[in-house]
Amino acid sequence: MGNRPLQKIINWSLMLNPGLLMVDNMHFQYNGFLYGIMIHSLVDAKQGKLLRSGILFAALLNFKHIYLYIAPSYFAFLLRAYCFENSGNSIRARSWISAFRPLRFITLGVSVIAVFAASLGPFIVMNQLPQLASRLFPFKRGLCHSYWAANFWALYSFADRVMIVLVSKTPIGQYFNLSLDTAALEATTRGLVGNTAFGVLPTVTAQHTLILTVLLQIPSLISVFRKPTFDRFIGSVALSAFASFLAGWHVHEKAILLCTVTMSVAIANLVGASPNSGSGAGAFSEQKNGAGLLTPRDVRSFMIVSLAGYIGLWPLFFTREETPIKVLITLIWFVVVGSGLDQCIPKQPKGPSVEAGPSSAKSMLRYYTTLERLYVFGCVPVQLYVNLIHEAIFGQEKLAFLPLMITSVYAAVGVVYGWLLYSAAYFSSNKALDKKKTR
Amino acid sequence: MAPATPRTKGNKAKATITAKSSTTAFSTSSSSSSPAIDHGASRFSSSSSTITTSTTTITNSSFYNTTATAGKAPKLNLSVFRYSNWLEENQLKKTAPWIAVAVAILIRFIVGLGPYSGYATPPRFGDYEAQRHWMELTIHRPIKEWYSDKSKWWDLDYPPLTAYVSWICGFIGDKLNPEWFAWETSRGFESPDAKIYMRATVLILEVIVYMSSIIVFTNLWFANKPWTRKHAALILILMQPGLILIDSGHFQYNAVMLGLVAWAVNCFLADQDVLGSVFFCLALAFKQMGLYFAPAVFAYLLGKSFRQGFFGCIWKLIKLGTTVILTLGLMFYPWMQSQEEILQVVHRIFPVFRGLYQDKVANVWCAVNVAIKLREMFDIQELVRFSTLATLLSFLPSVLHLIAKPTKKGLIYGLINSSLSFFLLSFQVHEKSILIPMLPITLLILDEPAVASLFVTLATFTMFPLLKQELLLLQYFVVLGFWIWLTKGTFSTASKLLQFLSVVNLLVITSLHVAEFTISPPARYPDIYAVANALWGAGGFTLFWAYFNYRQFTFVNTPGTGFRVTKSTKLA
Repeated sequence: MGNRPLQKIINWSLMLNPGLLMVDNMHFQYNGFLYGIMIHSLVDAKQGKLLRSGILFAALLNFKHIYLYIAPSYFAFLLRAYCFENSGNSIRARSWISAFRPLRFITLGVSVIAVFAASLGPFIVMNQLPQLASRLFPFKRGLCHSYWAANFWALYSFADRVMIVLVSKTPIGQYFNLSLDTAALEATTRGLVGNTAFGVLPTVTAQHTLILTVLLQIPSLISVFRKPTFDRFIGSVALSAFASFLAGWHVHEKAILLCTVTMSVAIANLVGASPNSGSGAGAFSEQKNGAGLLTPRDVRSFMIVSLAGYIGLWPLFFTREETPIKVLITLIWFVVVGSGLDQCIPKQPKGPSVEAGPSSAKSMLRYYTTLERLYVFGCVPVQLYVNLIHEAIFGQEKLAFLPLMITSVYAAVGVVYGWLLYSAAYFSSNKALDKKKTR
Repeated sequence: MAPATPRTKGNKAKATITAKSSTTAFSTSSSSSSPAIDHGASRFSSSSSTITTSTTTITNSSFYNTTATAGKAPKLNLSVFRYSNWLEENQLKKTAPWIAVAVAILIRFIVGLGPYSGYATPPRFGDYEAQRHWMELTIHRPIKEWYSDKSKWWDLDYPPLTAYVSWICGFIGDKLNPEWFAWETSRGFESPDAKIYMRATVLILEVIVYMSSIIVFTNLWFANKPWTRKHAALILILMQPGLILIDSGHFQYNAVMLGLVAWAVNCFLADQDVLGSVFFCLALAFKQMGLYFAPAVFAYLLGKSFRQGFFGCIWKLIKLGTTVILTLGLMFYPWMQSQEEILQVVHRIFPVFRGLYQDKVANVWCAVNVAIKLREMFDIQELVRFSTLATLLSFLPSVLHLIAKPTKKGLIYGLINSSLSFFLLSFQVHEKSILIPMLPITLLILDEPAVASLFVTLATFTMFPLLKQELLLLQYFVVLGFWIWLTKGTFSTASKLLQFLSVVNLLVITSLHVAEFTISPPARYPDIYAVANALWGAGGFTLFWAYFNYRQFTFVNTPGTGFRVTKSTKLA
């Protein structure tokens, strides 16, 4: 136990992150250094250098607007922790005004605006801003990216496909008065970027997704705003990323990295707070108010989301040469990090959820429920089918969308499940802490 | 392990007295030295007797170190040890070999993304095409014609087991895509899918034969050592760059032959001599270069037989002889019907007509040839006779020693010495053949850490001209760099001379590489870099030959390897 092995695991988890390796070095993008900036910003927040954290984040936003996904958490945290006097307790309604620090607010606001001005200034001068915005926010593209990212809409589209088959092949449609939109039958899964249309289920518009995203983000934002500790902040960053990924409009499958990387940092934070973490120094160990411990639930949710998310990335790498590489790096990562984290769970968790499995005490999956184990092992036959058997049966052309759909839906189930589990862990740990405080 | 050091230091005076009285007793049994140990050990544990027995060897080695180097035991501080410790702390012993094998496969596969020997170079292509053609040949021709096929395309010149394996690979590949191995029309066929299939056959055979044998070897060789050492050795052996580059980059099936030899060694370590000789014959039947090891294996088994009394010796020799004849007979059975056929097979397998050596190779003949043009002075028959005699003389000392003292450690040294002799002095040597002595030397990676690391570095360097020709530069630098990084911890355990040699070696290698990429060779000597490479390699390998012969004759009298594993802090 102790802090050192843990830091090592998180280092490995981030540096050998198969998602980053695959997306940056096989697919080709520049995520690595952007996540570096993000983690710098998060570490600054942890160390209380809030202004620098905010400026770094503003710069990050100007590098890649995908970080808007987690901007609400940053906004809530910085507003509350930096612009209000932070006494450590919730502020009563009356004293909001007296706690406000206008000077800090102006400093932060000016710095952020300055960053944006430096980046966008030339375009504003040349009157290119509307054109820029239309490139950055392509709402004309469809709900789902070329193949479905592992989110709600993958499940939704899948449900729609099932309904189409049911309605057209069986008489169920007549009982429920469902009609078929024939134009939609051609679209969606053919790898075309365009408007997604559904055959049976109601169409989803950009406004719907926006509202849903905000609704999903609000609970964690409130929790941060009520009590701006770093633990809550980092958890809410991960949850914001999830909300945007799961419910956003035209989400890329690569955006799962945002969820898994922020979750890694959140887990590192929890582990750093572990009471038996001995002498270890460093940013993640100086915990003041004895925050949450690493629970099996955190680990399970993290591992399942990561596994599902990375498998959801696999269809990006479709040549035969890439197949063994993507499989091996994901597998090695899962085993090494999974078993490493497993050993970091405190032996007698004090949290409310002690769910140690009765059997196979040595296995790294001992804390997992049967259903979760089924999911993890289920990846093997599913991916065997997707990568090998399907082509052997149907050839390359026929039913080409089927493997993609299977991968997306299977991954979406895992991501949604892991998100629910993580939300439960986040809010229950907050509650437990509040209770501890009041006693 | 930690108690050993302070204890010996504290009782240095006593220990020296005991040693003076009877050195042999000190090294073999703990009885005579137990008073000295008990005195110190009682401070650490109540049950001192158990500690005494378990730490005898350690006390022994640390005793010699205290006298020799005044208490400064060199510490082998490898990053693989830290990783293995981490695995052990996290109770990952069961999964660890799988992780190591998975990483090894991943690295080999990524190296395999690069070009292979003869990639897109008509008309003859290279080793890849040779192997592919043998698959084509074996699935389309009757077995009698395998060695007498007159199609003037890569003749099958490896022994029958290679042919059988080619047949299996060709059979499966033919089911996947008949185009890959179509008779005559597929000559020089190249496609990305065919490449992946061929690479996969290499990798799968390597996992089945070679990697499994290494896992078993580390378990047998470090049987009484901490688990971390076993695992560290496994990782290091699997990451040996030479084999990765030649098998997965250049394209060959060396790992099968080497794996079969390693299985034979495993059997010898477990005293299963008959089974071991079966494996060794299979290795010979896969690649005739296995003969480089034959003198050592023969000497070991002969020496072991001599120690079993008159009738025991005869019986053992009959058993082993029958095994060898049966195994090889079974392998060559299809061609045994007539003398003509078997001679044709032998003629193909031992092509003496090809010359003293191929290209530039880091052996003695090629080095001597820089000054004296041997090939013009003598005809080929004389050269064959001369080189055979020289080889015989150079492995004779080690073989005689092994017959006299057939120990298991001696076997490994014998394998090194006989294969190095063959590499340096025998007829018709490829630069790739350095892989053969590299196997037993790599197996000693934790027994001779600095020497083995240096040897592997040098040997990989000598294959550079070949790899450069095949555009595997990136793979070469990355894999070799990884090896140097992995084994850099061995440096501190080396003697001053060895440290000096390691540094010089790295400097020469680096400067030769830098020069090759910046200065174009003079017009008179277009091969100057290849020749420099071969000369440096030949010099180094000759020194290694001398060193390993010296070690074989002296390791019995020297103490253990004389370094501590860094786990000592944990035990304290």
